[in-house]
Amino acid sequence: MKLYAQHGALQGDKTKVGIEKSYISGVIYSPRDIGVPQLRAHISEVARIDPSAEQFFDPQYYAGYNVTDPDARLGRLATCEDYEAYFRQRRRRELERDTRIIEADIADCLEFQMGLAVTGVISPNILITRSFDSIEGAIAKNFIRLSGQNRTNLGHGKPLFATLAVSREALLDRGELFSFLEDITALDEPPDGFYVLVAASSEDARADILHADVIAGWLLINQSLSLNGYQVINGYSDVLTPFLRIAGAAAGATGWWQNSRTFSLGRFLPASGGRLPIPRYLSKLLLNRITHIELAQITDLRARGRRIPAVLNGLETDSLYPPDAGYEPARAEEVLQSWEALHSLCEDLCRDDQIATLRLCRRAVTRAVQAYDVIQSIIRLDPRSNAEHLSAIEEGIDLFVRLAEIGEPGA
Amino acid sequence: MHPDPLPPGKLLERVPGLEAVEPCFDRGGFKWVYRATVQGRKEALKVLAMRTVAEPDVDPNLAEAFVREQYARIRREIQALAICSVPEIVKLGAISPIEFETEGTKFLAYSEEYVEGVDLWKLIRRPRELPPLPELVALFASLVRCVQELWRHGYVHRDIKPHNVMKTNDVSRQFVLLDLGIAFAVNETNLTYRADDRMPVATYRYLAPEMLQPDFRERIDYRTDLYTTGMTVYEYAAGRHPLARDADDLMQTISRALRQPPTPLGQHRPDLPADFCALVDGMLKKKPALRPANLRLLFQRLEAMT
Repeated sequence: MKLYAQHGALQGDKTKVGIEKSYISGVIYSPRDIGVPQLRAHISEVARIDPSAEQFFDPQYYAGYNVTDPDARLGRLATCEDYEAYFRQRRRRELERDTRIIEADIADCLEFQMGLAVTGVISPNILITRSFDSIEGAIAKNFIRLSGQNRTNLGHGKPLFATLAVSREALLDRGELFSFLEDITALDEPPDGFYVLVAASSEDARADILHADVIAGWLLINQSLSLNGYQVINGYSDVLTPFLRIAGAAAGATGWWQNSRTFSLGRFLPASGGRLPIPRYLSKLLLNRITHIELAQITDLRARGRRIPAVLNGLETDSLYPPDAGYEPARAEEVLQSWEALHSLCEDLCRDDQIATLRLCRRAVTRAVQAYDVIQSIIRLDPRSNAEHLSAIEEGIDLFVRLAEIGEPGA
Repeated sequence: MHPDPLPPGKLLERVPGLEAVEPCFDRGGFKWVYRATVQGRKEALKVLAMRTVAEPDVDPNLAEAFVREQYARIRREIQALAICSVPEIVKLGAISPIEFETEGTKFLAYSEEYVEGVDLWKLIRRPRELPPLPELVALFASLVRCVQELWRHGYVHRDIKPHNVMKTNDVSRQFVLLDLGIAFAVNETNLTYRADDRMPVATYRYLAPEMLQPDFRERIDYRTDLYTTGMTVYEYAAGRHPLARDADDLMQTISRALRQPPTPLGQHRPDLPADFCALVDGMLKKKPALRPANLRLLFQRLEAMT
C-alpha cells in the first residue's frame, strides 16, 4: 500500500524530505496552492531525489463546478494564467446538455498534464454532492466514460486515473452506489485507475468520514474497482489508508493541514477564521493523533512507573517530539511524523491477501480499543484524540465484509 | 397442458430439406428437439408449437402476446447464432425457420448443428470422479468466451446452466453452449416473460439475483451470464449446486439466490488451487458490481492456471 503526500499550501521542503526519507512514495499536487513554474521545479526536484517517485496532479475541476461562492478561495487556480488552459467554471446546464463540453474539458485537462513531468494523469470530474441517482451522478459518469475514450485519442503512455469524487451523503444510499459501480466497472474504454475522493461537509467534520456507513461505502468503491482490475488511489484518506487496503486499494494520501487530511469543498470557500491547530502525534497503537501535550503527559506517566500503554511508535521521527510538554513541534515535523507512522502502519497491516489484511486490521483496532480503555481511565483526552473513531472503523469494516459478501474462514 | 411431440413422419412431410428424422430426444414446454439428417449431415431440428388466440381457456391478449414472444425468441436466437463466431457457441443449421400447420396447430421448425457429446447436467448426475483443474479451467474459459462474444453483439444468454453446455470429444471445442432461446438483446425494448406469471423466463435454480429485481431489464448485462457461468462451473466442479437443494420449493430457491452466500468452492474441492476457487466464488457475488468482470484479466488469471 503506497502513501502519497496530499499537497497543500506552504509546502516548503516537506514533500522533498518525505520522499528522501522514503516515508511517502509520491505526491498529489494541488494547483490551488502552487503556480505552474514552482510546480514544474518541484516535480523535477522530487524526481531527482527519487526517480521512482510517483507524481500526480489533481486538476481540482470540481472546485470550478461545485463552488459557486463569488468569494471562493480558488487560489492559484484563479490567479495563475497557466491554469486557464483547462480550469473553467462550468454550470450544470452546460455539462448536462452537451457532452462535447465535457470531452473538450477532459482533453484540455489531460493535455495540460501531459506538459508536466507527472507519472500518471488524473482526469477531471465534478463532485457528486447528494446522490448517485442525480443529474450530477449522470454528469460524473459521463466524465469517467469520456476520460477513457479521450485517453485512446491522446494515445499517450502514462496511466490515466479518472476522478471519482463523492460526498459522504451519496455513499449512504447503497442501492444507488451499487448501480453506479455497476456502470463504471463495465466501460468499453476504461481508464487505468481511479482517484477516489470522499467529501465531508467541512475539513473539520472528521465524524462525517469516520462513520461506519461512510467507511463501508468507501471500502465498497475500492473493492468493486480493484477486483475489476483498476488501480485505486484514495485522496485525503489519512488514517484510513491502511484499512482501505482490505478492499484492494493501491494507495492513499494525506498532507500537513487539516484540509489535506479530510477532503471538503470547504477548502475553496471563504475562510471562517480560527486558529492554527495544536501539533499532534500519530500513534500507530491508537490509530489516531493525540496532541503533543497528551503525548508528553503519557510519556511522563510511564517514566514515573504508571502502567499505561506506550503510545510512541519507536520510529525515527519520535525524536521530533521530545518528552517536554513545553516543546511544540513545527508543522513540517508533524507531517513527517504522520507520514512515517502511516507508512509503517501500512507495512504492518497491509498484505496482498485480503483476508490476511482484514485480520491484521481487525487486530489493530482491538489493540487500540484496549489501549484507549487504559489511557482514558487515567487521563482525559481532547475530543479529537479519543477513541470514537475506533467503533466507526470496526463497524465500517464489519458492514463492508457483509456487503461485499466476503467469506471469512473461521469467522 | 403441453402437447405431445410431432412424430418424425409428420415432420418429413412438412419440413422441406429433411432427409431423415429420429424420434424426439429432448423437450422443453412447447419445444421439441429431434436428430435429423440434412444435406447428408446430422443436425438438431427444433420444432415449436405456437399457441394461438383460438384456444378457449386462454386470455386472447395473453395468448397473442405469447405468440409474439415465441416469434421474438426465435428471431433473437437465430440472429444471435448467425453473428456469433466463437466455436464454443452452437452454429445454425441448414433449415431456415419454416412455419407449418397440422391438425389446427401452428408450428415453426429450424435447425442447428448437432453437437455430439453429453450435457453437463447428465455428467453431474452420473457417479464419476470430480473433474480435474485443466478440464474446469477449459470449461470456465469456454463459457467466458461465449459470454464475451454474445456481449460483443449486445446479447445476454440468461440461461447458462449445465443442461445447456455439452461436453464433446472435440479438442478444438471441448465445451459448447447451446440454446440461445431466451437470449436478451440489450438494445431491444421487449424482454421475454413467461406468459402466465410475468416472471422472466429462465430456470429458477440458475437465476442471477439481479434477475429477481423488478427493474432487472435496466440492470442486466454480461455479468448476469458471468454469474450463471460461475454456477455452472461450480456445480460441475463440486457435483452439487452452490445454493439450491433438490427438496427446495420455489420460494426457498429464490430466497437462497437473493440472500444465501454459497459455500466456498474450496470447501468441496480442497484439491483445487485457491485462486481458481476464489474466481468461481467471485462470480457468485449477489451484486454484479462485486463480480470480477474484467474479461481481459479473467482470461489472464485462467491462463495462468493452465
